[in-house]
Amino acid sequence: MQVEAGDLVAGAMMLVFGLIGLMLASGATDNEMYVFGLSLTGFAAVFVVGLIKRHYDKAEMHARGEDWHV
Amino acid sequence: MFIRHETIEKNAFLLLILTLLVISIGGIVEVIPLFTIETTVEHVTGVRPYTPLESGGRDIYVREGCYVCHSQMIRALRDEVERYGHYSIAAESMYDHPFQWGSKRIGPDLARVGGKYSNDWHYAHLINAQSMVPESLMPHYAFLAGTPLDTDDLLNRLTAQRRVGVPYTDDQIANAMADLRTQADPAADNAALLKRYPKAVQVGHGNTVTELDALVAYLQVLGTMVDFADPANENLHQ
Amino acid sequence: MSDTLALPRYNDAIIKKFVIATIFWGVVAFLVGVVIASQLAWPEMNLGLSFTNFGRLRPVHTSAAIFAFGGSALFGTSFYIVQRTCRVRLFGGEAIANFIFWGYQFFIVMAALSYVMGFSQGQEYAEPEWHLDLWLTVVWVTYAVVFIGTVLKREEPHIYVANWFFMAFILTIAVLHLGNNIAMPVSLFTAKSYNIASGVQNAMIQWWYGHNAVGFFLTAGFLGMMYYFIPKASGRPVYSYRISIVHFWSLVFMYIWAGPHHLHWTALPDWTQTLGMAFSIMLWMPSWGGMINGIMTLSGAWDKLRTDPGLRFSVTAVGFYGMATFEGPVMSIRDVNALSHYTDWGIGHVHSGALGWVAFITFGAMYYLVPVLWKREDLYSRKLASWHFWISTLGIVLYITSMWVAGIMQGLMWRAYDQFGFLQYSFAESVNAVHPYYVIRLLGGVLFLTGMLIMVYNLIMTVWSPSTDKRVTMPAGVALAGE
Repeated sequence: MQVEAGDLVAGAMMLVFGLIGLMLASGATDNEMYVFGLSLTGFAAVFVVGLIKRHYDKAEMHARGEDWHV
Repeated sequence: MFIRHETIEKNAFLLLILTLLVISIGGIVEVIPLFTIETTVEHVTGVRPYTPLESGGRDIYVREGCYVCHSQMIRALRDEVERYGHYSIAAESMYDHPFQWGSKRIGPDLARVGGKYSNDWHYAHLINAQSMVPESLMPHYAFLAGTPLDTDDLLNRLTAQRRVGVPYTDDQIANAMADLRTQADPAADNAALLKRYPKAVQVGHGNTVTELDALVAYLQVLGTMVDFADPANENLHQ
Repeated sequence: MSDTLALPRYNDAIIKKFVIATIFWGVVAFLVGVVIASQLAWPEMNLGLSFTNFGRLRPVHTSAAIFAFGGSALFGTSFYIVQRTCRVRLFGGEAIANFIFWGYQFFIVMAALSYVMGFSQGQEYAEPEWHLDLWLTVVWVTYAVVFIGTVLKREEPHIYVANWFFMAFILTIAVLHLGNNIAMPVSLFTAKSYNIASGVQNAMIQWWYGHNAVGFFLTAGFLGMMYYFIPKASGRPVYSYRISIVHFWSLVFMYIWAGPHHLHWTALPDWTQTLGMAFSIMLWMPSWGGMINGIMTLSGAWDKLRTDPGLRFSVTAVGFYGMATFEGPVMSIRDVNALSHYTDWGIGHVHSGALGWVAFITFGAMYYLVPVLWKREDLYSRKLASWHFWISTLGIVLYITSMWVAGIMQGLMWRAYDQFGFLQYSFAESVNAVHPYYVIRLLGGVLFLTGMLIMVYNLIMTVWSPSTDKRVTMPAGVALAGE
């Protein structure tokens, strides 16, 4: 099962966002920036988990010869 | 037609570029001259950057969304001038980043509220508006009285404003904290403060500087900077 | 067997997500609207807490209505329409589409949270601070790439008229967003910034942005919806191709100029005010051209209005659009504006557009899309959809008539003189006088929210009803054998 180009692009973006989020949260001088930074990192992490899950779900369905319904 | 519309409909880039051109014209014609025509902002004496305390109060005014119910723009109409005072001129908000002219009057215009009421009235009114004006729809801002003003990034805030064009001098930046304390303590000697910021009104009760003190200081300076009785300011052509 | 999975022709999963988000945010937006309307009727409803004050909740209401509800509807319908009218699958793949969805939802939640925490740029409809503006820029650019990419790989020679409007909407919103939000952060780690422009220039740029958020977000985008769903639901072609062309180019050209009508009689130079007024009045023509094109599309299919509740919403929406775009040019005349500006007339005008046009055309699209996307034969109940229609319409009528009366009354009281030549009324008296109308407005909002909840129930029951999808209903093997 190949990894789609879109997954790689999205994954790379999430890596960047996750790091930016950590930086912002660590240096934050107000609540808003702290909450935003942590949430951004959380967003990126959850999104990457979603990417990985969908990849393996697809691979399993592929192995069973089923269609991917999207 | 010199160009068949079919040509545009079949070429996404052509459609995008033409759309971009068409939407640019209006904005360019209306916005750019406001920066280049010199008479857009009048030359008057008296308009100065906000004191550190007023600037902090203004940040609270923006934060609490006061602009959604109060305008700061007296239009050049007879009844407005009689109700609120001299119509607002562009120079009066030239250091306002962002402008707070507003678009709706659920409450009255505040462009010239400075000096109209005493400090005590403002404190009582902000804490419980209905106690002063029974018909008022204004929320209670008692929580501001219990919140100390955050001055940790005071210098950064003034510097950021200087970067976008507010002419804070080095002297003003260097004395920012001292000026803030002086203005929030009616008992303090304000000679140096008034030299740097004429017409600054002292507020507070001499203890911890609260957000409410800052907001009152801001409200008390609104519309007072330009002296319209001064002959130097008589010729206000745009 | 190939190394990649066979994909369905269109990416409909992403559209389903946006449909759910649209409905969810619709409920939130209307609910917050009802709450803040009650605060204006009874100020005790502010509760005295910082985060429940009108000043902080009002941007939550406007952002939820415009960007969360309207925006999710625009993303979803534009992706649905562009795939079908170009006959290709969405460009960029699933992951990127999912990023647009979740990235935009993240923006909305973060923006709402920041308002109640007390962070705002202090410019209407552009309240999110600089870090959220940058995040939105990333999402928006991705959206533009996916949409334009899909148009570029189309298998139809022509770009359909709905897509012209969607492309103009995407492009112009990008320009406006960037132009109005250039700000200097206090520091890289502080969520507070100062706009680069000040005073009169800032005011002009803000209303260039603000009015075209109406013109391109709430008009051009939703016209794209009109140009697809009305012909589709009525089974009739667009009334006039020629009007579509004139409508499109004149609308996008003229809207941009109309901003200064928000600044009549202010310190903005007279020449700018006059330009804004002139173009606002001219704008009446393309707006009505579009309205006629939408309504006349029904020629020969008027009977469907009785049977298709979704279509009834769409067509009524176009009617309200015509009404609001007539009222707008009237209010932009300087002497009318002297009376109407700063009053509740403006609030009424906005809501005849937002409830009558934007929300109704969205409801029409939702009633069309849910059975199609979830492969159901019909709505769960057409009768409930009719109830939704009439309750909401009554809500709008109460809302806009009460605001007309309140607004004109405020305007007249503020300028009234007594026999001695003094101002007759104090400001507080005008506040007192509009109280009954604020209560009626609240009632209108409650009715509109009630209609929305009926729709939510109806659509949930539609999704839960038995599927008509052959792949699901037929026993395994049969479908394959038949193919």
